[in-house]
Amino acid sequence: MDLRLPSGLFFAILGVILTGLGVFAPDMRAPLTDININLYSGISMLVFGAFLLVMARRAARKQS
Amino acid sequence: MKLAAVDYVILLAYFAFVIGIGWVLRKRVSTSGDFLLSGRSVPVWITSLAFIAANLGAQELVGMAASGAKYGIMTCHFYWLGAIPAMIFMGIFMMPFYYGSKARSVPEFLKLRFDEKTRGFNAIMFAVMTVFSSGISMYALGLLLHLVLGWNFDVSVLASAAIVLAYTYLGGLTSAIYNEVLQFFLIVAGFAPLAILACAKAGGWQGIVARLPANMTHTWKYMGHASENPMGVELFGMIAGLGFVMSFGYWCTNFLVVQRAMAAENMSAARRTPLIATIPKMFMPFIVILPGIAAVALAKMTGVGGGHLYDLPMKLSNGVMVGDYDQVLTTLMAKFYPAGILGVGLTGLMASFMSGMAGNVTAFNTVFTYDIYQSYFRKNAPDSHYLMVGRMTTIVGVALSILAAYVCKHYNNIMDLLQFVFAFVNAPLFATFLLGMFWKRATAHGAFSGLVSSTVAAILTFGLTTAEHKGGWISPVHHFGSQMVQNFWIALAAFTTCFVVTIVVSLVTAPRPDKEMEGLVYGLTKIKHDEGARWYQRPAPLAVFVAVLVIVINIWLA
Repeated sequence: MDLRLPSGLFFAILGVILTGLGVFAPDMRAPLTDININLYSGISMLVFGAFLLVMARRAARKQS
Repeated sequence: MKLAAVDYVILLAYFAFVIGIGWVLRKRVSTSGDFLLSGRSVPVWITSLAFIAANLGAQELVGMAASGAKYGIMTCHFYWLGAIPAMIFMGIFMMPFYYGSKARSVPEFLKLRFDEKTRGFNAIMFAVMTVFSSGISMYALGLLLHLVLGWNFDVSVLASAAIVLAYTYLGGLTSAIYNEVLQFFLIVAGFAPLAILACAKAGGWQGIVARLPANMTHTWKYMGHASENPMGVELFGMIAGLGFVMSFGYWCTNFLVVQRAMAAENMSAARRTPLIATIPKMFMPFIVILPGIAAVALAKMTGVGGGHLYDLPMKLSNGVMVGDYDQVLTTLMAKFYPAGILGVGLTGLMASFMSGMAGNVTAFNTVFTYDIYQSYFRKNAPDSHYLMVGRMTTIVGVALSILAAYVCKHYNNIMDLLQFVFAFVNAPLFATFLLGMFWKRATAHGAFSGLVSSTVAAILTFGLTTAEHKGGWISPVHHFGSQMVQNFWIALAAFTTCFVVTIVVSLVTAPRPDKEMEGLVYGLTKIKHDEGARWYQRPAPLAVFVAVLVIVINIWLA
């Protein structure tokens, strides 16, 4: 098993959930937070998840 | 702190993934070696991240933020003075013997190099220690979840133990290691935003420096005198105690981390495992310690209504209010994380707990199966028998950890005592390994008497000194500035005793013939220098690179 596959998938899912929250509930704030933290962390996780998935795909292609 | 539905969704998704990884990996287990040692086939980037993740338990995460708030940036010495140099030493000088000797565990190396009794002593100490470590960490997590979220202590302890058991039972060490990598990513994803938000709110690093006493924002500047720095430690105690004895003892001899490197696919990968691991390790303080430091600055700032932005948590202890630093991390999360990212942060905390516990359980089952069961109970059984024993030991290990968690819950002073024991238990072992690997004259009787006498020396030091009302049960002749400094000195005493006694006893006992020690001692071992590999794939250039990097960081924040 290529670990990048499940980790990439996991972060992609987290990214979708957080980005969704950031877009549809942009005013959600904790007492000391001034920015839309869900949106920014969500996007970063999406990027990281996609990166892992692309890497896994490339490795799988090379093998076959 | 209240969780929203989305936070539970994230937590459940994580549980589904860790168990799923175990489920997929169960097919890779057909021998005891697959289950307990990963069949020595794990890619190097995975072993490297698992190497630090196994150490990154919930107590580490909570404790580092706590120490950040209590001692300031000096806490970073645990990383930049302690862990990194030790990891470099381990990769360059010690891994060739561990991996090359084909020993399956750290105690087994002691058996090959010395004798059965040295191995037995170490294996039993280690088995007891791992069970109680994961018990203590389980107790700490259960307590935290109860305090912060109001969750039931029993349910959180049993449920998290059940999940760890599920994936380690299914996929063995490979499953534990793979999940540790996922856990590492999640810890970073869950806590890096907190460090950034807390730091930004406190006005960036400049804002923090302006609000904190100067001795909390410099790593080296106030080390000259014990009374000048918040840790109450002097330069020698810091460098020799923490930097040398404690860190080298932990990172070079603790099977919990060594096991991760031993699972690598070849010698070069095994040596590069701790070296590559130093790079993320070096930057961990910015995620785990910085929030604690920023918290102190936030507690000095006033908001719109005139109240403090943040108040350091307090608790009642012996009738006085004192800082409850262990709650710094979670209270910060409550202040900065709205639903969504809060779920990620909390899942990160659970992940760190699970990686710490799985690390202990997988090290425990290997040591028990190979070093205790196979050496003292049944020597020549077929491999399938040991696989079965390994699996059963996994269940027993988790059960014993749960038991240990309840022991700690009901007898708080036992926990204090154990944490004291863990503070020094690896220190003398490092002396044994240092002499065993680099001095061929060291004998089995020397090693054994060194280990036993150093344990006595540690207990005596604890009995003769006090710090924060702990210790001094024989007669207090010296007082230390903090418990941490006391630990440094106990470790130093244990190490020195072991070192001296081992040498003296070795010199009066019969030496072992050179021929028996090939591959175990420096000078009698041909270390392969991987000629074919490109320069950047070799351990030595990598070691030089990370060494320079850590020196730069030390100077930068001196």
